[in-house]
Amino acid sequence: MSPEGASKTMAARLWPCLVALLFSTSTAAAERIASLNLCVDQLLLDWVDHERIVSVTWLSANEHYRRAALPEHVTLNRGHAEELLGLEPDLVLVGQYGGGRAAARLRQLGVPVVTIPDAHNLAQLQQQLQALAAELDDNAELLRQAGRLGQILQQPRPAELLSAMILSANNLTYGSGMLEHELLERAGFRNLAADPDGGEGGQLQRVMLEQVIAAEPELLVLYGGEQTFALAHLAARHPVIRRYVDSGRVFTLPAELGFCPALVAADVLEKLRQKRESLVEQQ
Amino acid sequence: MLNSNRIALGLLGVALPLALLAALVSGPVSIDLAAALRDSWRGESSEAVILWQLRLPRALLAILVGAALGMGGAAMQGLLRNPLAEPALLGVSSGAALAAILLLYYGLAWQSGWWLPLLAIGGAFVAVLSVWALAGRGASASRLVLAGVAINAFLSALMALALNYAPSMFAMQEIVFWLLGSLANRGWDQLLLALPFIIAGGLLLFASRNYLRALTLGEASAASLGFGGRRHPLLLLLGIAAAVGAAVAVAGTIGFIGLVVPHLMRPLVGQDPARLLWASALCGALLLLLADIFVLNFVGAQELRIGAVTAFIGAPFFFWLIVSARRGGAL
Repeated sequence: MSPEGASKTMAARLWPCLVALLFSTSTAAAERIASLNLCVDQLLLDWVDHERIVSVTWLSANEHYRRAALPEHVTLNRGHAEELLGLEPDLVLVGQYGGGRAAARLRQLGVPVVTIPDAHNLAQLQQQLQALAAELDDNAELLRQAGRLGQILQQPRPAELLSAMILSANNLTYGSGMLEHELLERAGFRNLAADPDGGEGGQLQRVMLEQVIAAEPELLVLYGGEQTFALAHLAARHPVIRRYVDSGRVFTLPAELGFCPALVAADVLEKLRQKRESLVEQQ
Repeated sequence: MLNSNRIALGLLGVALPLALLAALVSGPVSIDLAAALRDSWRGESSEAVILWQLRLPRALLAILVGAALGMGGAAMQGLLRNPLAEPALLGVSSGAALAAILLLYYGLAWQSGWWLPLLAIGGAFVAVLSVWALAGRGASASRLVLAGVAINAFLSALMALALNYAPSMFAMQEIVFWLLGSLANRGWDQLLLALPFIIAGGLLLFASRNYLRALTLGEASAASLGFGGRRHPLLLLLGIAAAVGAAVAVAGTIGFIGLVVPHLMRPLVGQDPARLLWASALCGALLLLLADIFVLNFVGAQELRIGAVTAFIGAPFFFWLIVSARRGGAL
């Protein structure tokens, strides 16, 4: 093995240890966890022993959002404090926005409630994982995901950038400051919807199909992968998009990235890098 | 006076191609129109794709939908002899919209992409036939209006129920956007889907022109002139359902065009309901195209829905109508 390869292997082994050190806490592990946030639901169901989960939100029963099996004993809540009180949770996880009143009421009644911050960019994503790790007491899967993300983010960015543009539901595109933009940039793409001055003025912008065609991005990034009909996806189904599909210049971001990026951010980044490499080879 | 009316109609005829040209140069991207036209519709350049695949079908769809709504409104006002009648009054728009909402609500598979418009057209026909069945044999205009109001109220209740139980906020948003109408992201496929129904509807209305003329003398006089029986109003209603149903199917519900346009055109055609049909089609096409040009040039974080624009055109028009009528002592 070359010295460079050996150092990379060493770094890969060290990352989970560093993350574990960074995230390690001394709190006792909660055994009856309830969630008032859709993303936290999915993370719990995916990463935590199901016996420790007592309640998740009703949205997690919806096929659109459900990514992990929903155990029978888990109660679905609609964000009301009284639903959770009867379950006697020793930890209630709530998102930054939503469920605020129920969380306040539960706190008043002496139930431990912890707010897990939302993630709209990579820095916030790492903060979110850190906050979650502090409550879930060295959860192995969480540490593995956090380590993997940190490791990918450590990799140098490709020097040659390819142009890309996101076309999301209702003709929205993601500019500077958004997680999707950061993932594109980290993977070696130049986001054509980004503010050229690097400001955060145009985070979420409307883009018309003719602007996409005129910009001629080397990669067109769609969002969601919805198979069912939706007016919101008319633009992505327009015949002018076919030439991107036919030439393999389309990448579809998973819907999870929209409502719970922690689940898929590392995967997306890895796949975007692979897509970039295949586009460079095609050229 | 007659000549000035003809000149006004002629100006409308001239304004339509000019508005079409304006629509083709409207948009966030500046294109060389002449170069894009030379490039032909199979051109691969960005400018050719923008012109031939995006702007032209959208502008033509605006013309087609506007014409259908204008013509449908004129026919409905002629049939019911009520200046406040419009296709929505007999549930045509609501029937189409409810079918679309149920499709969106239950999230049926996209399949070929034709489910939504086909079901919406079907919904328009079902609504009209329900009104027809409810009104009963030998229904007068007032009974038709009453049946229409009843069916319309029922359809509105069903829409409210669908909104109430919308499975997610996205479904709710879809439904609300559908009810506001839009021409964004429409292409040749939607145009070609609506075209045969709108042409068929237009032909049925054209075939009913003498019935509309006879109706101006009253139902009894119309019957004495050979327009008795149920066939004539049924054909007229089916024509409205085909034209307006197809328009709603591809563009959602766009209000006020069917209501306002016949009012604007009536003085220009000497109150002749037959000539009012094509004049309203022309004016409806122009008005919707102009509204879409406004939408295209409107800069905002969200798409401005064309239904909101037509409502802003329609409401002040009625303010003006009532004020001028009060001055003239007509009301």
